[in-house]
Amino acid sequence: MGIRLYREPELVEPIMFVGWPGIGNIGIIAVNTLKDTLRAEEFGEIESWDFFYPKRVVIKDGLLKSLDFPTNKFFYRRLENRDLIFFIGEEQPSDGGRIYASGEKAYQMANLVVDVGLRFGCRRVYTSGASVSLTHHQMKPRVCAVVSSEELIDHVKSYPNTVLMSELGGRGEGEGTITGLNGLLLAVAKKRGIEGICLMGEIPDWLSVASFPYPKASKSVLEVFSEILGIGIDLSPLDKMAEQIEEVVESIYAKFPPEMKEEYDQRRVMTQPEPGPITIQAQIYIDEHLKKGGEEGGERPA
Amino acid sequence: MERDRLEIHRTAQLKSPFLIVSWQTHDIGGLGSRVIDFLRKNLGGEEVAEIKPVGFFPLGGVRFRNDLVQVQESKFWTCGRRNLLLFRSDEPAFNHFRFLSTVLDFAQDCMGVRELYTISGALSLTAHTQPRRILTVFNRPDLRGELQAHGLEPMTWEGPPAISSYLLWVAGRRGLPGASLWPEIPFYLAAKEDPLTIKLVLSFLSRRFELGLNLEGFDSEIDDQNEKIARLRDEDPEIHRYISRLESGQSLDEEEQIKLTREIYDILS
Repeated sequence: MGIRLYREPELVEPIMFVGWPGIGNIGIIAVNTLKDTLRAEEFGEIESWDFFYPKRVVIKDGLLKSLDFPTNKFFYRRLENRDLIFFIGEEQPSDGGRIYASGEKAYQMANLVVDVGLRFGCRRVYTSGASVSLTHHQMKPRVCAVVSSEELIDHVKSYPNTVLMSELGGRGEGEGTITGLNGLLLAVAKKRGIEGICLMGEIPDWLSVASFPYPKASKSVLEVFSEILGIGIDLSPLDKMAEQIEEVVESIYAKFPPEMKEEYDQRRVMTQPEPGPITIQAQIYIDEHLKKGGEEGGERPA
Repeated sequence: MERDRLEIHRTAQLKSPFLIVSWQTHDIGGLGSRVIDFLRKNLGGEEVAEIKPVGFFPLGGVRFRNDLVQVQESKFWTCGRRNLLLFRSDEPAFNHFRFLSTVLDFAQDCMGVRELYTISGALSLTAHTQPRRILTVFNRPDLRGELQAHGLEPMTWEGPPAISSYLLWVAGRRGLPGASLWPEIPFYLAAKEDPLTIKLVLSFLSRRFELGLNLEGFDSEIDDQNEKIARLRDEDPEIHRYISRLESGQSLDEEEQIKLTREIYDILS
């Protein structure tokens, strides 16, 4: 089980951005887009075979040519005033076929990512995911933040369009769980002396079970990343993807039964709607039209 | 090698043996289990070790089938006279790489294995009256000629890997040459047994490792099975038509495949 570095870039206190798949793939799309936009270079990986069953085998004329596993790769980029490390994990490792990471393997994976961060002098890590909330899909998704230390609270308050979890209605004192590795990594990083911030793009509750991504929220997260790094980021690829998804979402929304639509549309005028259970009618609709197989998970209201 | 994953029952001296592996999970046509059982019984196989289930199998309870408790097994046997190491196991549910590495840790580090063979059935649209091919996958190109000389046909495939391919890949990384044998089994015999294919595989192994196996016992099983299916064809024109189409290289739709499989299963039960 291990880390394989193809090269040892000289980096000064790099910031680390980490992404794994999750609800709406909000976090991984944001981190991956940032990595691609900055043309970060691959410099290492976590060997996959201890964590995953292979996805694909290639056998040609009898010879086993290759076995492909989900990848876990590190990238780096030196900006003028800041060095960056990116980690992109194609899948979350878990014991027992769950979608979100859990158990020993998840803990090992998180520690390996932190190992690389520490090796290059990383002092801060950003993870990203989804914040499932009672928002409306026509509203601009906010970015919800959870931090690993008191000192970071004021810092994230300076981010645009960003709220602390405690500022969202119905979550007590900002209580909840960040399911999977986008959350666990923060805990492991904190234990090992790296400060962490999780930035979660808002996604309407009913879309959190859809099988398609939610790039609109990724864009919100990416705008915050852009502000943090003080750089302009070309968001047009995300805009295009968001437009396509928006069409799908609008077509589903158009078929909402009238009472359900009326109830849902109240979210547009309420700044902090009181959270409550999804109505029976809405739940039936979601089950019939959107729900994908597998386990629910991700960042959910407490 | 992490010995705590293994329970070694006795030591055995083999001279760079061959390792033959089969899986009990999804054992199409009962092929892997029957082949290992036959070798074990006819070559005086002695149990030498097993892999402990902790960390590899769910241990929250026990499965049962036909009222019988099913216990996961991952056992090694030696056949000293023929220099073979046999391994039969359920497919692990977790930590596949660690499990496969443990298999090879024991095989290579404790037993000095020099070559690996895995055996699994491949579902086929061939009819039971037709000759079966043994498709093969190997992890070193120099094995191609040797295996083709035995009449094995190289496979081409891209897609999700079976555990045998995974084991072959792990073996390749450790420098252990190996091949997976994928004999064809008519799909409608998959839930029962296919003695013709079992005999075909044992026949290959007998030649390859000079085992001198007497396989005549399979002939009566093959005849018996063929007679039962022939009787069904006489009695049921639809079944006859389905099998005839397979014999002439045509396919069947899903409904027809299910009907044929069900009828054959019933007649052979």
